[in-house]
Amino acid sequence: MNNSLKENIKNLQTLFANSADLSVREVTLKSVRQIRAAILTVEGMVSKEELAQSSVNPLMAFDFGAKTEREAYQTILSRVLASSDVTEIEGQEQLISFITSGFAVIALDGVEKMIAVGSQGYAYRGVAEPESEVVQRGAREGFTEPLRVNMSLLRRRVKSPDLVFEQMTVGKKSRTQLMLCYLQKAVSQELLEKLRERLQSCDLETVLASGYLAEYLEDSRTSRLFSGVGISERPDTVCGKLTEGRIAIIVDGTPAVMLVPHLFVEEFQGVDDYSNRTYYAAFIRTLKYLSFFTAIFLPAIYTAFAQFHPEYFPTWILVKTSKSLSETPLPVTLEVLLITFVYEIMKEAGLRIPKSLGHAVSIVGALVIGESAVTAGIISSSTLMVVATAAICSYVTSSLYPPIMTLRFLFVIVGGTLGLWGIVLATAIVLISMCSKTSLGVPYMSSLAPFSLRTMRDVFVRAGWKKLSEHTIKVQNFAETEEKA
Amino acid sequence: MKTEVPFSSKRLFMTLMLCACAVILLQNHDLSADASFWVNLLSVFAGLGVCFFYFLPAIILKKKYNTDVMTLANQAGTPLKWATAVFYALYFLFTAEYFLIPYTDMFCKKYYAGAPPCLIALAVLACCVYAAVKGVNVITRFGIFLFVLALVTNFLMFAGSASSLRFEENLAFRGTLSAFLQNSGYFITPCFIAAIYVCLSGYTRRFTWRQPLTALALTGLKYALVLFFIAFSAGEYAGRQEYETYLLSRVAHFGSFAGIESFYMALSTMSVFMITALLLCCTCRGFQLGGNVKWTAAFAALLFFVRFIAEKFDSLNELFTNAALLNGFTFVAAVVIPSAYLIGRKKHA
Repeated sequence: MNNSLKENIKNLQTLFANSADLSVREVTLKSVRQIRAAILTVEGMVSKEELAQSSVNPLMAFDFGAKTEREAYQTILSRVLASSDVTEIEGQEQLISFITSGFAVIALDGVEKMIAVGSQGYAYRGVAEPESEVVQRGAREGFTEPLRVNMSLLRRRVKSPDLVFEQMTVGKKSRTQLMLCYLQKAVSQELLEKLRERLQSCDLETVLASGYLAEYLEDSRTSRLFSGVGISERPDTVCGKLTEGRIAIIVDGTPAVMLVPHLFVEEFQGVDDYSNRTYYAAFIRTLKYLSFFTAIFLPAIYTAFAQFHPEYFPTWILVKTSKSLSETPLPVTLEVLLITFVYEIMKEAGLRIPKSLGHAVSIVGALVIGESAVTAGIISSSTLMVVATAAICSYVTSSLYPPIMTLRFLFVIVGGTLGLWGIVLATAIVLISMCSKTSLGVPYMSSLAPFSLRTMRDVFVRAGWKKLSEHTIKVQNFAETEEKA
Repeated sequence: MKTEVPFSSKRLFMTLMLCACAVILLQNHDLSADASFWVNLLSVFAGLGVCFFYFLPAIILKKKYNTDVMTLANQAGTPLKWATAVFYALYFLFTAEYFLIPYTDMFCKKYYAGAPPCLIALAVLACCVYAAVKGVNVITRFGIFLFVLALVTNFLMFAGSASSLRFEENLAFRGTLSAFLQNSGYFITPCFIAAIYVCLSGYTRRFTWRQPLTALALTGLKYALVLFFIAFSAGEYAGRQEYETYLLSRVAHFGSFAGIESFYMALSTMSVFMITALLLCCTCRGFQLGGNVKWTAAFAALLFFVRFIAEKFDSLNELFTNAALLNGFTFVAAVVIPSAYLIGRKKHA
């Protein structure tokens, strides 16, 4: 940036390739020296009303008298602007960052610095209940796309100076803003430093959603089957995690806030658990664990039993299953794989299809593919029932759906080729993989492996609030310090 | 060199306890028939007492110097370091074979009749390489899940057999000195866990004397329960079994619930998997190759080769499943070598 207003404007327009949304309004200030100024904005990013009230009207009305350009600049900065969000811009990088974030920038001829005035006013989706985390008794608020709105949702819940927001920028082209959010007294500085390093190492051109960064936050050389980064769209959930020493990463433009370190047992904890009676919370968690195992193992065990150990079926089931399987042309392993595959296709179609067509797809799926295929003898009813049960169970812990789906396929293949023994061996491998996984150095399976009796009060059961509040367990306590052996 | 994170000593002892319990799950039940349940119980006490004695050098090393034999060997100079590493490598590979051979035999005779034992061994070893590369810490974490499975399986096994208990015949105290000694010899087999501890104690922290004692006490309890059900379970199912048979057919009686013996299969498979992976870790540690995929795979390939040859030659099979030979090597690995290093260290100091 230099002293010449014309040149500064020209440079900016060149930088934006004369983009149609870059708005430049040149004005002459009321003064003896006829000072020339310009108000630079990106259309659609600023509120015109706010801009007029905070910047344009005061600027045009103020009499600068015989002040020089530099004196006028200082006066604007200290006395003229009616906004609380005023910042000096000293370089091109800063200028681009502010102008693309919805700030109005005031530039004066003869001054190499510029002034950014907060007058953002872009359209965004309002705060609403997140569809993926519906609760019965909790708040109905969920994160939305603008960063500042999400920050305010957290600040409203934790009214303490201990809550810190640390700004960072990622994406060489997108220059996406993100906030590291943590409670200063609860967070581990070591974990925080590790996280900063990983985010700084991100060399992506564009970051359009939080998911882009998740891979950079995962520990290297650990299994990628399960995610070491937690996701939540609920401010109350995020606040709860912050008190346990976790760090939230809010990415501008995404309602999904990332949380690290993330543990396996967290997948089974819900906001409602903490509002419901303890016995009911324990019941729900037990259901979730059972559903998780059923979703993964039921089709595989069914396949192994039908293929290798039919004697393990109770007699009355054996008779019906054998009859049903004998009437179908495909071997049971292929049949299970086929139905699971068709189900995955239908699920994807259901997700992408316009809502108005949803009913039609459901009917086609349930009647044509399901009932007709059984009636025609292409698939057996028992296999269909097993796959359907597993599919329903997999949605009880929907955040674990990707690993559940992958493992289901894997175990069906192993169960169909090696029987129960193969399933046992594959389970051992998956357990080893899970036990070796870490999230920011914290073992992913913490609470279970390494086992901690104290934390069991919030794993399979949820202890009463009196007991839970006695001692908050910090997530960094699970981390094992690295030393050379 | 792989970076290892020191972990709880308690967890390592729990894993070792599971390894010790696997002996009675996997080995041929060759106890002398001249001894009654009570004499066998005394043999368990004697065997595990010796086991504690085997632990002493490693415990002293840990308590006094917070180190293990492998670390001391590395400090001792090249020839001694290599000699120690080679001895322990051979010993651990022998021990791994000692479990792998009976497991694959049992598996192919009792569970998947007709399956080729070498194929079973290959699949298990491939999985073990993956686990061994992940390190001891991860294997001990896996041990926690195995512990839960062991609890469930043992509960089912014992609950299934409880309905057919008969005390009239075997309640008397009956036995000879030779039977007592023979059976005590059998119960010395779990001493191999002391040799594992000798190599891995350097990884652990927060050691207390109570940990080995608890591990051995729980192992003893498990042995006692198995012996109890073998001695007094006299139902129709147990009656059909020969005395000298694998425990799979003797104790794994689940009443009328067909298919629940799969728990036994799962437990024995996971136990062999864990022991073999742990032994591969120990072997690699001797050569400072922890986490090295190629070398771990090479040691596993050696194990497979031996298993393959043992299938062809019965004498080799017998050699690798000889409990007396294992106990002899264990004495050298767990007592003689650590004591020598302990004395050497004391003199050096």
